[in-house]
Amino acid sequence: MLSRNGLDYESLVKEDRVHISVYTNPAIFTDEMDKIFHRGWVYVGHRGEIPNPGDFRLKRIGRQPVIMVRDQQGEVHLLLNRCRHRGATVCQREQGNTRSFRCMYHGWTYLLNGDLGGVPSMDGYGEGFKREDLGLVKVPRVGEHRGFIFASLSPAGIALDAHLGRAKEEIDLFAGMSNADEVEVVSGVHKYSYQGNWKLAAENSMDGYHPSIVHASFAQALMDKITHVPTPEQQRVDRNFAAFRGNAKDLGNGHVMLDYRMRIYDPLNGDPAPEVRAVTPEGEARLNNLDRRFGADRAANMLREGGTHTFIFPNLILIGVQMRVLQPLSVDRTEVCLYPTLLKWLAPEVNAIRLRSHEAFFGSASFGGPDDSEIFERVQDGCAVELEPWQLMSRGLHRERHEDGMIVGDLSDETTQRGIWRQWKKIMMQGEVAARSMRKRGAGAVAIKRG
Amino acid sequence: MPVDRERVEQFLFREAQLMDEHRFDEWLALWSEPALYWVPSNRDDLDPAREVSLIYDDWVRLQLRIARLKSGFAHAQEPRSRMRRLISNIEIEDVGDWEIVTHSNFLLAELRRGKQDLFAGRTTHRLRPENGSFKLISKKVLLVNNDEPIDNLTFLI
Repeated sequence: MLSRNGLDYESLVKEDRVHISVYTNPAIFTDEMDKIFHRGWVYVGHRGEIPNPGDFRLKRIGRQPVIMVRDQQGEVHLLLNRCRHRGATVCQREQGNTRSFRCMYHGWTYLLNGDLGGVPSMDGYGEGFKREDLGLVKVPRVGEHRGFIFASLSPAGIALDAHLGRAKEEIDLFAGMSNADEVEVVSGVHKYSYQGNWKLAAENSMDGYHPSIVHASFAQALMDKITHVPTPEQQRVDRNFAAFRGNAKDLGNGHVMLDYRMRIYDPLNGDPAPEVRAVTPEGEARLNNLDRRFGADRAANMLREGGTHTFIFPNLILIGVQMRVLQPLSVDRTEVCLYPTLLKWLAPEVNAIRLRSHEAFFGSASFGGPDDSEIFERVQDGCAVELEPWQLMSRGLHRERHEDGMIVGDLSDETTQRGIWRQWKKIMMQGEVAARSMRKRGAGAVAIKRG
Repeated sequence: MPVDRERVEQFLFREAQLMDEHRFDEWLALWSEPALYWVPSNRDDLDPAREVSLIYDDWVRLQLRIARLKSGFAHAQEPRSRMRRLISNIEIEDVGDWEIVTHSNFLLAELRRGKQDLFAGRTTHRLRPENGSFKLISKKVLLVNNDEPIDNLTFLI
């Protein structure tokens, strides 16, 4: 079935391969923005980024600039960053604290919940001017799980709970079973961009086949250069970096994960690794809970280095202690933001270790991430070869199994990439009727009554 | 003891040259324990126990950074960056028998895979006099663009 722009998604994405135009065709990118980012659920930010009343942070939903703000009552609002008068953005700073948002063109001022407050020289408007109709446009649907805020620009569609499905359990583990307010997202951001399609980062983040090659420099240096004497267990882990074991899992709805047990950063963080301790009674309970489920040793490692390795379709990646957000800029340019997290109930020295673990492998000057970005750019460059326009995603197809309603493969299998593509294809092939009606509704939402 | 400004300048210029030319072992030999190589992220003044940095290398990580760059598999430096930097506005803040603190500005032109970037910032060096020269105890680099996307900072800054 051809979609309205003549793209035959059925033939572009096969079970075992994808056509390179999915990374290079600007028309496909525009269609993705419409169908995936402007209609479906996307991750926006975490409550912990705006802990105090008046705190705000600028975000994007697809291409739409959005203000994520906490009002005086603690409620979080997602407001489209555009004055209702003549359309200038009303918030310029990436983050901060404010009592209102003021457009610097003619001075229209909006409250933290988006309502229109002051309008200079009101006498210029007649009786038909309805202040209550002219607040900042709110994102139609906002949902939350453990403080993770997701949004959809479409007023109708699948509920967030159903969309997240099994991925919720991984969010829970990432948060160390903490409640929304116990996850601290106040440690700053690592930001980088690369000259490549956004899906390359999505695929790579859940690729268990590449670490021993792309990250050979880290593995080798770790083995050769740790100057303290490693414990036998750490030595074993260092040697096994090239061949660590686990499963690649397709959780459904495009959410996928790598499930493995591995100490990566502990060798860098001192020997023995610092003890993990809680500083609140609630934290004590959460620690005990994790100890019971995973054993004390594994639980402690999860809290020092991170508890899951999961991609939540289409733009959130939970790896280590970081929330990683993909921001597509164009068909061949992508910005990535990494938000390392702390847990309020962990001892300060353990939270510091979380940051040091993160810095080792992630960020522009780290020992891991920049090598991944380099590969994305090489793949994008390789897409110039059109004579044989396919990328293979067949690894492990012959040995996949179904367990507990999930598709499970070996850690190094492309089960995860296939899971992402299956959801991508499903969404991109959806009928055009919904897209048209959404655009119509969108137009209605910004229409104003004439004065 | 009066500080010999020229010797301090020579040290900073030499460090810059070693970084520009990827002379990793010679650069590492400038350092002495306890080392701290710190490039804050997002803003200049932050609490490293609560906030993330671009680089926060202690002695162990400094060794690891150099070992990685020398491994032959650091893809983000394959090909390597071509670099030249200017060191200027050198201020010698504090002089004691055991330590010298300097502040200096830098402007770095970095070229890799057909793209040239400019990096600018201010560096604070803590130096310990030794054998007529100095050992580097810590350096903190305040990048002008530390709150913007930085695509590749895998060279020495």
